[in-house]
Amino acid sequence: MSDSSANDSRVLRKFLRHKPAVVASVVIAVYGVVAFVLLVVGVITLPDTLKRVGAELQPGLSSERLPEKRLLDCEWLIDRIASLSERRNPEKALAAFSDMGVRRIADVELDELLNRIDLAWESYDELADIEDVTAAAAGTLDDPDVPPPAEVRSMLTELEKRTDALLEPMTKAEKSTRWFELLLGTDRQGRSIFYRAVYSVRVAILIGLVTALLSVTIGTLAGLAAGYFGGWVDNVVTWFYSTFASIPNIVLLILLAFMFDGGHIDGPINKVTGGLLDRLIGGRLDETLIPVYIAFTATFWIGPCRVVRGETMKIKELEYIQAATVMGFGRARILLRHVLPNVTYLMLINFSLLFIGAIKSEVILSFLGLGVKKGPSWGIMISQSKSEVINSFFWQIGTATTFMFFLVLAFNVLSDALQDVLDPKHV
Amino acid sequence: MSTSPATSTAAEVALSVRNLTTSFRTDRGIVTAVEKASFDLHRGEALGLVGESGCGKSVTSKSIMRLLPEHITRYGKDSEVMLGPDNLMGYSGRQMRDIRGNRIAMIFQEPMTALNPVFTVGWQLDEALKYHTKLGRSERKRRVIELLDMVEIPSPEKRYSEFPHQLSGGMRQRVVIAMALACEPEILIADEPTTALDVTIQAQILKLMNDLRERTGTAILLITHDLGVVAQTCDRVVVMYAGQVVEQAPVRELFHNPSHPYTRALLRSIPRSGKKERGKRLATIDGIVPSLTNMPPACRFADRCDCREDRCTAEPPHLVQLNEDRSVRCHFPVHSD
Ligand SMILES: Nc1ncnc2c1ncn2[C@@H]1O[C@H](COP(=O)(O)OP(=O)(O)OP(=O)(O)O)[C@@H](O)[C@H]1O
Ligand code: SF4
Ligand SMILES: [Mg+2]
Repeated sequence: MSDSSANDSRVLRKFLRHKPAVVASVVIAVYGVVAFVLLVVGVITLPDTLKRVGAELQPGLSSERLPEKRLLDCEWLIDRIASLSERRNPEKALAAFSDMGVRRIADVELDELLNRIDLAWESYDELADIEDVTAAAAGTLDDPDVPPPAEVRSMLTELEKRTDALLEPMTKAEKSTRWFELLLGTDRQGRSIFYRAVYSVRVAILIGLVTALLSVTIGTLAGLAAGYFGGWVDNVVTWFYSTFASIPNIVLLILLAFMFDGGHIDGPINKVTGGLLDRLIGGRLDETLIPVYIAFTATFWIGPCRVVRGETMKIKELEYIQAATVMGFGRARILLRHVLPNVTYLMLINFSLLFIGAIKSEVILSFLGLGVKKGPSWGIMISQSKSEVINSFFWQIGTATTFMFFLVLAFNVLSDALQDVLDPKHV
Repeated sequence: MSTSPATSTAAEVALSVRNLTTSFRTDRGIVTAVEKASFDLHRGEALGLVGESGCGKSVTSKSIMRLLPEHITRYGKDSEVMLGPDNLMGYSGRQMRDIRGNRIAMIFQEPMTALNPVFTVGWQLDEALKYHTKLGRSERKRRVIELLDMVEIPSPEKRYSEFPHQLSGGMRQRVVIAMALACEPEILIADEPTTALDVTIQAQILKLMNDLRERTGTAILLITHDLGVVAQTCDRVVVMYAGQVVEQAPVRELFHNPSHPYTRALLRSIPRSGKKERGKRLATIDGIVPSLTNMPPACRFADRCDCREDRCTAEPPHLVQLNEDRSVRCHFPVHSD
């Protein structure tokens, strides 16, 4: 509408003069873009956040190759070779691998491993020699439990093939991936903290957006109706929100999350809406989060409902709404065209407040193991870093809280700014 | 729209209120704010409705428009609000909506909040036209500017896209008037339209309303507690006291020759600038208005009246027609002839 654009541009100018608000918006925009890219383009995928790249590494800017997944696959091969040769020849029990079981393979340097593989070959040759001489005499060659050296041989060959692959020079892409993976270190399971923290932006924004949108919409409509129509409509709405509000928020969240946990609700909801949602957004709303959305919305709509109800009651009595009534406008038209625009500022402020609320609550729920089920989230990261902090390894918890901190701070600043800029009383 | 020049003698009735009784269901029981109010509003005239604060002027006007909260308001069974041949009391909400803004418009006291702060002046006028007329977009815009021009707003094209907070109080009240007149209503109810404005602006707005009345033939029901405003603007006056109409008369006659003791007391309390009056203490009416829950059974003014006699507290006075255009509710009306 061209008429309201003048008003909009005035508000916009006022907003742009508010420096912290502009910075906050930029920060939020960055998070938003990250979330969008993650959701739609998928630069970092779920498997990336699960990839083991080396346990409890300090952050660093290196792009060196570390023993990675393929090397970890060698673990059972080495175990197998060790046990086979032990049975064959306990004395010579492949000294090369004898102490490797103690340390995790991921901690072993590549060079060392290669050395050990060479040593293994030597022992194997010796083993094979002894085998040939003694086997016939002892008659153990027919023992089905004892594998022929040929099997050990093939295993060693396979092991060598895998380790050789690691020696090939890395491509540029591999190098930069490595750089990002190691940027903020890794957790106990060897997963990249940076990847996990960034990937969690997606969940945070998703939960924030969905719950804030749902709550503000429901709360505003209920508040408008209650404030404008009064009477029994008001009684019903007030009863609902005072009932919900009288239960401690976090307890209710936990209760609802428990209630809707594990398929009780996912199934039916997916049956009803899943097809449609899938077609609309390709499952990007993450159906495993539906219980979380419901639990949050159930308590979050109260805030906007309360303020919108109060404001509507006030506006209803103002001359311009009475004037709209004496102009003969219908009640729905008055409510949606004349009252609603006067409470949009409350909707925006509440949206931004609830966005933070949802993100913070998600962290708490996930910390308690009731929130996010699929993939990482800041809450899960904080929860998992419990044992790391004891070992004074704080990178995971530090990263998760920092990522959260800036987003929450940005929204707080933005809410304040919106309050200043949008409230008609300040105009 | 009636373009016939308005004359104060034109007796064609635009709106006729008969036995209007309005009561509210409250915590203290049923209170009757207006009781058996009857008066006619003639085509093209300005009728003043005066009375002390709380005497039921606003309730009367809101009853006409059926603006009172439905669930607590009851109207008397024989109450009639006749607009032409139709009784608005029997109208449904939908039918009332067609009347409001279209045939009867209303403006309120407070110009500061009379316009929606989030929309431009143009938008708000346009909205009224959009709802009640079939005009196209550009026609509506032309009409809006015409209306702004009509209420003597300078550079209406510029004001069109301005917001209410950019206008002064007087300017806003002009916009409100323009909005009320957008659909050329037969009747304009103005509930203390100038009370919140300072005196010079007040005079300008009253003059504007009178000019527009003469130009468009819209009848005005002007609600006020200021007899000065009535003298300046109105053709006839209805005086209310404690929910009842106590006197009805043409302005001149009322001022020169008030019949009801209350009207006389009211007139005595207006400050005058004549030589004789200067330095004299302004008369006030002793006593207080009876409360709605505790009305005297007979004459409601009895407690404060200087002409009271025994009959006054025994038998309620009825509205008596003195001549063609005067009536009074008093057992002992004053005759100063
Ligand atoms: N919704 C309501 N419920 C109960 N009583 C009401 C209601 N509206 C008005 N009244 C009562 O009706 C009486 C008349 O009020 P009204 O507003 O008509 O006075 P008024 O003559 O317009 O006074 P003022 O000059 O102050 O505007 C008052 O005593 C008021 O308390
Ligand atoms: S009826 Fe009696 S008390 Fe009432 S106004 Fe007339 S003279 Fe006064
Ligand atoms: Mg009033």
